[in-house]
Amino acid sequence: MSEKTDIVKAPEKNIEKTGTLYEVAPIVDIFENEDEILLHADMPGVVKQDISVNIDNGTLSLSGVRKLKTQGKATWEEFGNVEYVRNFSVPPTIDVERVEAELKDGVLLLHLPKSEAAKPRQIEIKTA
Amino acid sequence: MFTRLSDIDRLFGTMNLLRNRLDNLYSDFDRSDSFRWAIQGSVPRTNLYEDGEGFEIRAEVPGLAKEDLKVNIQGNYLEISGTRSSDAPKGYRIHKTERGADSFSRSLTLPTDVDATKVEATLKNGILYLTLPKAEAVKPKKITIG
Repeated sequence: MSEKTDIVKAPEKNIEKTGTLYEVAPIVDIFENEDEILLHADMPGVVKQDISVNIDNGTLSLSGVRKLKTQGKATWEEFGNVEYVRNFSVPPTIDVERVEAELKDGVLLLHLPKSEAAKPRQIEIKTA
Repeated sequence: MFTRLSDIDRLFGTMNLLRNRLDNLYSDFDRSDSFRWAIQGSVPRTNLYEDGEGFEIRAEVPGLAKEDLKVNIQGNYLEISGTRSSDAPKGYRIHKTERGADSFSRSLTLPTDVDATKVEATLKNGILYLTLPKAEAVKPKKITIG
């Protein structure tokens, strides 16, 4: 017969998690030219302090938490507290030191400049 | 054959996990129109809150500046409209455009009459906050028992 006859759940399964935030992927636009890659991500309602942008090992991870205080009773809610998470793989030619980020009107604007060595260079052919 | 209750427990645990994943499936991108059809009246997303004094409407309008938005109110009929302009820089190759640049319009009928002269609108971090005080006649009044 079985050795587990307890009806009560084993203690380790009773770990309570405090409300986890809904995770959602922000919609983005990505543009590129010779000098840089631009990434614009919609994150309405998120303030600067709650955003983290990390580039590690060729992966760019964006995370922004939106927590809005409400008052009164909600008649309807189509958007709520959410964590915007999305990861991208970036080419190794990005100069991580010079990455810039700006938050404007709820849109995160990222500049990912390409390192000098990666820019296309015309190689001159010398006649010997 | 389930001879152990822990097996049944694990089965239900897995089913719950599957159900949660399926629930979240369509919300992964937080929108249901994956073909980018802006169904009339569903863009932008809004929340409506109410307390004794008035209403608060919040609308998700990322990337819009004050000049791009228009809010009209008539009696208890409210209309929010605007145009999102594309911020694609010239001369760049485009890898992905999920955000789009369309004009939108959404109208709502509020539950009770609103005092149109006292409506305030603030745009902050890509969210439009509208405070709409209720007209005096419809505010809840305290009745003292004599």
